[in-house]
Amino acid sequence: MSQYFHHNPPVRVASSSLFGTASEALYARFKKIKRKDVECQAFFRKVLKNPLFQLLMISTITSNAFFMVLGTDYNIRYKLFRLFEISEILFVSIYACEFFMKVYVEPIKYWRDGYNLLDVVIILIILIRYSLRKIKGRHYRYLHIADGIQSLRILKLISYSRGIRTLITAVGQTVYTVASVLTLLFVLMFIFAILGFCLFGTPEKGDLDNWGNLASAFFTLFSLATVDGWTNLQEQLDKRKFTVSRAFTIIFILLASFIFLNMFVGVMIMHTEDSIKKFQRELMAERHVTLMEEKQMILRNQQEAVNRLMNTQSGGGKNFTELVEEFKKTLRHTDPMVLDDFGSSLPFIDVYFSTLDNQDIVVQKLQELYYEIVNVLCLMLEDLPKKMSSHSSEFMN
Amino acid sequence: MAQEQGHVPLPRADAIRSRLVDTFSLIEHLQGLSQAVPRHTLREILDPSRQKKLMSGDQNQLVRFSIKPRHMGHITHSQRMLSRLQVRCSRRPPLSLWAGWVLENPIFSKFIIFLIFLNTIVLMVEIELMESTNTKLWPLKLTLEVADWFILLSFILEIILMWMFSFSLFWNNAWNVFDFVVTMSSLLPEFVVLMGVSGNSVWLQLLRISRVLRSLKLFARFRQIKVIILALARALKSMTFLLMLLLIFFYIFAVTGVYFFEDYSRSTIENLEYNMFFSDLLNSLVTVFILFTLDHWYALLQDVWKVPEASRVFSSIYVILWLLLGSIIFRNIIVAMMVTNFQNIRNELSEEMTHLEVQYKADIFKRQIIQRRQNLSPEAVRATSHRKASKDVLKPKEPELSDSEKSDAETSDAETNDAETSDTEKSDVETGDAEKSDTQRSDSEESDTEEGEAKGSDAEQDEDGEGQKKSSKSKVYSSSSSTASSSSYSTFLVDFDYDGKMDWETLVHENLPGLMHMDQDDRVVWPRDSLFRYFELLEKLQYNLEERKNLQEFAVQALMSFEDK
Repeated sequence: MSQYFHHNPPVRVASSSLFGTASEALYARFKKIKRKDVECQAFFRKVLKNPLFQLLMISTITSNAFFMVLGTDYNIRYKLFRLFEISEILFVSIYACEFFMKVYVEPIKYWRDGYNLLDVVIILIILIRYSLRKIKGRHYRYLHIADGIQSLRILKLISYSRGIRTLITAVGQTVYTVASVLTLLFVLMFIFAILGFCLFGTPEKGDLDNWGNLASAFFTLFSLATVDGWTNLQEQLDKRKFTVSRAFTIIFILLASFIFLNMFVGVMIMHTEDSIKKFQRELMAERHVTLMEEKQMILRNQQEAVNRLMNTQSGGGKNFTELVEEFKKTLRHTDPMVLDDFGSSLPFIDVYFSTLDNQDIVVQKLQELYYEIVNVLCLMLEDLPKKMSSHSSEFMN
Repeated sequence: MAQEQGHVPLPRADAIRSRLVDTFSLIEHLQGLSQAVPRHTLREILDPSRQKKLMSGDQNQLVRFSIKPRHMGHITHSQRMLSRLQVRCSRRPPLSLWAGWVLENPIFSKFIIFLIFLNTIVLMVEIELMESTNTKLWPLKLTLEVADWFILLSFILEIILMWMFSFSLFWNNAWNVFDFVVTMSSLLPEFVVLMGVSGNSVWLQLLRISRVLRSLKLFARFRQIKVIILALARALKSMTFLLMLLLIFFYIFAVTGVYFFEDYSRSTIENLEYNMFFSDLLNSLVTVFILFTLDHWYALLQDVWKVPEASRVFSSIYVILWLLLGSIIFRNIIVAMMVTNFQNIRNELSEEMTHLEVQYKADIFKRQIIQRRQNLSPEAVRATSHRKASKDVLKPKEPELSDSEKSDAETSDAETNDAETSDTEKSDVETGDAEKSDTQRSDSEESDTEEGEAKGSDAEQDEDGEGQKKSSKSKVYSSSSSTASSSSYSTFLVDFDYDGKMDWETLVHENLPGLMHMDQDDRVVWPRDSLFRYFELLEKLQYNLEERKNLQEFAVQALMSFEDK
């Protein structure tokens, strides 16, 4: 097994457990497996990237969605029953084909992409419906739930549209903050739910509908947080003469609705700004890079042309410098050339020469400083041998 | 060209050479491709004396135009038409020119605005008088009708004028299309009513509605409203994908809702308020929208729970999930995108302002440089003759002295001038070194009071100076008092004086980008051979500088390894 480690230098994770080493070795072995059906794989890869195929998929998904819309009406479903069945079989087979093709082309890397996982989930949902119908019979209570979930098939469209994908990646970065704010809200609601249950949910005097058990307490609190119909709930509490209910409700509404739910807005604004700025910066950097590359290309072409001219000796052995000298002779003083680039404009010349003069002065002063240093050092050296000679004379004596 | 001596390739020198090659199209010339040399500019040809000279020289001269793109700004359609040959050669100006003149006339546009307001007022009065059958008001009603027709006809006339001006450009502008649609849609009911359709039919209502719509034409006239509407349209455009995603979610939840609440829709229990809310797809869509706006969702949910067959779990999951996803998360995403879009628009508008400011600063910088160069050249000549090492500070006390005035710097303390006394560029720099004994200064010339127009830049530099008070470079600009050794560089031993608190380098660094990006409306006319020589010399200069640097390094090394032998 150890030879696989030598073959794969990028595998750097040194795991200490047996399972780790075993999975590493497995992974390495998988990577080493060469597929024998390279041409078939390449063909399917080409098919998958073909725009015609993508168009086919988009139209399939759209017509599936349309049929689902039609299928919500019972009458239409009754009349066009056969059409619905056939189209259903067609759609499911197309989805399954796409899934199998993609897995065939890239068996390992397929599972890393999020949108492929979405495809797998949708196929599972289709399977759930089918299997539920088969296993539990046609009169199972929850059959229509499985039918309802089929509407998620339209999410497959997202992977075919670049704009929505960028939007989701941009928005998806805010998902952690959103989750944490939601968790905070949940904790707050939990606290207030327990409080409310204890205060208002007692069996004798309390409002059992809304505060009787934890679930209804949660619902009531959510209704307060979204400030929908909360005056009715408050009325119920008032009818039962709870004195503290007003304070409770108002405090909770302030906390949850005014502060928390608007904190959402603030957090989203911040993150959207950040991601848009980052996106713009990346765009500018890309543009800058391409511009620089183009400029370099032009410069390089020019250099090559000049070098070529210099190297080729054409027409009587004139080399480059002589040609240039001849060209210079054709220039006349009275010919005007109008330039508006910065390098030959007057401010540039002024600035440049002033800077050069500055540089000269600085160099000059630096030199004088050096002279001074050397001067001082020489003076020190002069002092030193006297002492040395006196020392050495003492020493010798 | 000095490249054959085996020099180290310098990127700057290469850049200058490529600039030379580019400007003179050297490669094409040397390959014998193009012989044309631009000899005259357009200005010379337009000059009548020069033109006569040209014509007298050779009457069959061919003129070749080589166009250097100039930043002319926006060229309007009427300007373009004025330069067309058929317009210039015809006897009378074409109708489109006259139409353009009328349209751009301020009197005409004010008249149209007045008509729009009049339309609104007429409409208001008409609605008040509509139902009354008072016969005394009949002349008033007649005048209102006439005014209405007059307004309509003048709007149509304006549209016809715009068509005469330029038919194809009319349709490119969205505001014009909007005008057209509104006017046409108000034209149709008028005709129908004129034909005598009976009194209270739907046509009359349509008529009034279309008359009201005419007031919307106001939006195109005022610039502020246009800006706001354009900003809104841009914000919406950037949110298209978000809205598409929202539509997808609406679809998902609508279809799911129909299936989830089947039992609820079909139940026979009485007194269900929201029974029809999920009955078919359209109702379900409306209900999903109602839930999106968080209206009566708890009542709906409690109503659903009244039906025992409907599963509580799934219905509450459905409602809560949609509320969280749609109403809370999506709505806030929309708000966030709108805010960032408006911020972007505001940033763009302020960028224009900063651009103008940068231009202004670059202008001032240019003026400074020119004045400085003018100071230096007389100074450099006189610096060799008088040289005294003075330690006093001679501050320029007269604020009128604009340019050529040099003062001496302080000796040891880091003291700076007051910003008020500093003229354009003359105040002292701080030295950070206390070791330097003497400072040799150039003479402080109290030249005659030359009036400079640097008053404006005074204020600017005062501000700059104040701002830069803290950031001083610790460069040593004081030279030692060696009198003899510096005679070789005498011409350049001039102490530059700096404005405010900035020294040269920071000044250049800050203002150079602005200078470079300025809108160049002043271009330099070079004589051709001088330009060639200039580029050549600049390239050679780079090589020389490089050589000098290397020599300096050698000298320093030799000095440092100086041993007492």
